[in-house]
Amino acid sequence: MKSNKFLFERFLAHTILIIWSILVGMLVYFIIISAMKTNRTIFRQLLSLPEKFDISNFINAWTNLDFGRYTFNSVFVVINAVALIIIISAPASYALTRMKMRFAQPITFFYIAGIGVPFQLLLIPLFKIMVPLNLNDTLHGLILVYTVLSIPFTVFLLTGFFLSIPSELKDSAYVDGCNEFQAFFKIMVPMATPGIVTAGIFNFIVLWNEYMLALVFTTRSEIRTLSLGLYSLFSALQYTSDWVTIFAASAISIIPTMILFIFLSEKLISGITLGAIK
Amino acid sequence: MKMEKRRAYSAWIFLAPSLILYLYLFVYPTIEAFRVSFYKWSGFAANMEFVGFDNFLKLITDTSFLEALKNTLLLLTVGGMGSFLLAFIFSYLLGSGIRGKKVYRTIIFFPFIVAPVVLSIYWSLLVYNPRVGILPQLLKLLHIEVLSEFLFTDMSHIFWSVLFIVIWSKVGFYLILLMAGIERIPPYLYEAARLEGANELQMFFKITLPLIKEVLVIAIIFWGIHAVKMFELFYAFGGIFPPRALWTNAIYLYIMGFGKRDPIFQLGYASAIGVVTLLLVIIVSFIIRKSIKREIYEY
Repeated sequence: MKSNKFLFERFLAHTILIIWSILVGMLVYFIIISAMKTNRTIFRQLLSLPEKFDISNFINAWTNLDFGRYTFNSVFVVINAVALIIIISAPASYALTRMKMRFAQPITFFYIAGIGVPFQLLLIPLFKIMVPLNLNDTLHGLILVYTVLSIPFTVFLLTGFFLSIPSELKDSAYVDGCNEFQAFFKIMVPMATPGIVTAGIFNFIVLWNEYMLALVFTTRSEIRTLSLGLYSLFSALQYTSDWVTIFAASAISIIPTMILFIFLSEKLISGITLGAIK
Repeated sequence: MKMEKRRAYSAWIFLAPSLILYLYLFVYPTIEAFRVSFYKWSGFAANMEFVGFDNFLKLITDTSFLEALKNTLLLLTVGGMGSFLLAFIFSYLLGSGIRGKKVYRTIIFFPFIVAPVVLSIYWSLLVYNPRVGILPQLLKLLHIEVLSEFLFTDMSHIFWSVLFIVIWSKVGFYLILLMAGIERIPPYLYEAARLEGANELQMFFKITLPLIKEVLVIAIIFWGIHAVKMFELFYAFGGIFPPRALWTNAIYLYIMGFGKRDPIFQLGYASAIGVVTLLLVIIVSFIIRKSIKREIYEY
């Protein structure tokens, strides 16, 4: 028999959680309905539904304001950066945890310590390196910067995952005549896939949303990423007074991460969980 | 042992690509930034002038910097307490065998993945917007308009308005970390405590907290690093230029180094701000590590 006190506590818990959920849901709801209104009506009827289902603001943002191109730039930069991050960080994490190399611990610490460095500190020296390499103001340069600055956190995540894989597996691969590279690609990579996927999603989301580095390392408007394009649009608001397009562009920016999140949030959450309690 | 040697050799091959990039584009710039912080330097020409600790001495009397530092520390402490208090409350509510636990957890985590620019746009244009925003309208509906003075409208409160957004958007991440720790605590410990007559609060302090210490240390260090580095949400807030009340170390550094529309290019001075910020990260991580004793409880 469940007591009244128990039922009341349940009710209270659900109430608090539902209020918070509404607070979160409002973000998506209001951005989308605002994106379908017009500049003339938006603030007169901020809370009400749009008069009709109207995607002209999206089309305007996508074509006239170049958000189609920005989306393409973001996809290009982020996919390449994430692939590069994994390609260089996974073998490194494996070497640092499962190959009995000398100085593995201090080197791991040396990598992970990078998490604490504020990126703003690196902007000026990095800029100075990029200019003579002709990488400044190019998407390739941005990919390189994103890749390098993501190494510390990715190594932190992946070393945790490799440590959770029993090393007997790798030893038996050696006994079967595999060399180090075969053991890594045939045994360890498949075993570490959940970790690699987590690191991939995490980096994708962080880089997709990033705009400070893009602001410093790109100046031409045609190579803007989506977040930077959105930031530029937002900071020009007081001249353009074009409110509704900003909401349409915001929706364009959150839709990809939202889709990724809907399908992969369980993987991401369990990955963070595993990384935290190694 | 030829095999062993070959294995050690190939470990370095595995490590080389990331290590070379990391040394060249991360470690070297960090060291270079330290060096530049001892110079007066206005741009990319060779007119660097060594000034010793002058940049750092100037920081102590720079009221803009001191305000930025104050904001950074408030974000670190008050923001941290808010985030963790809320994360603990949610983990308690979700840990009691409630229905829909995973759905709630996913929803609470969601704002964490939304771009900071989008958060700035949504909160400043739609929620806090002084005349027409959702919040002022809600207050009007409830006939408590007086409260709007304490919201975004008033510059002296804008920092707290943004701090709420930080907590609201980050709490989900820390909730996940804490729940990961809490779920590993065997339930019989709580049953035994309940039989002994312990209340919820006692169980929290005597069982939950000590047993999730490891996870808690990681989570708090993450928060500390994240808070000290935080830039994008604050910088985008207010659109064209962040009001001074929202400047943090990271923003002040950026403004000194790169300016906004008019470049300032005090690169040496900006680097000094970065060095101080990095030292702050190191000190904070150290304090957290030391103040939470690293005893591990076997259970």
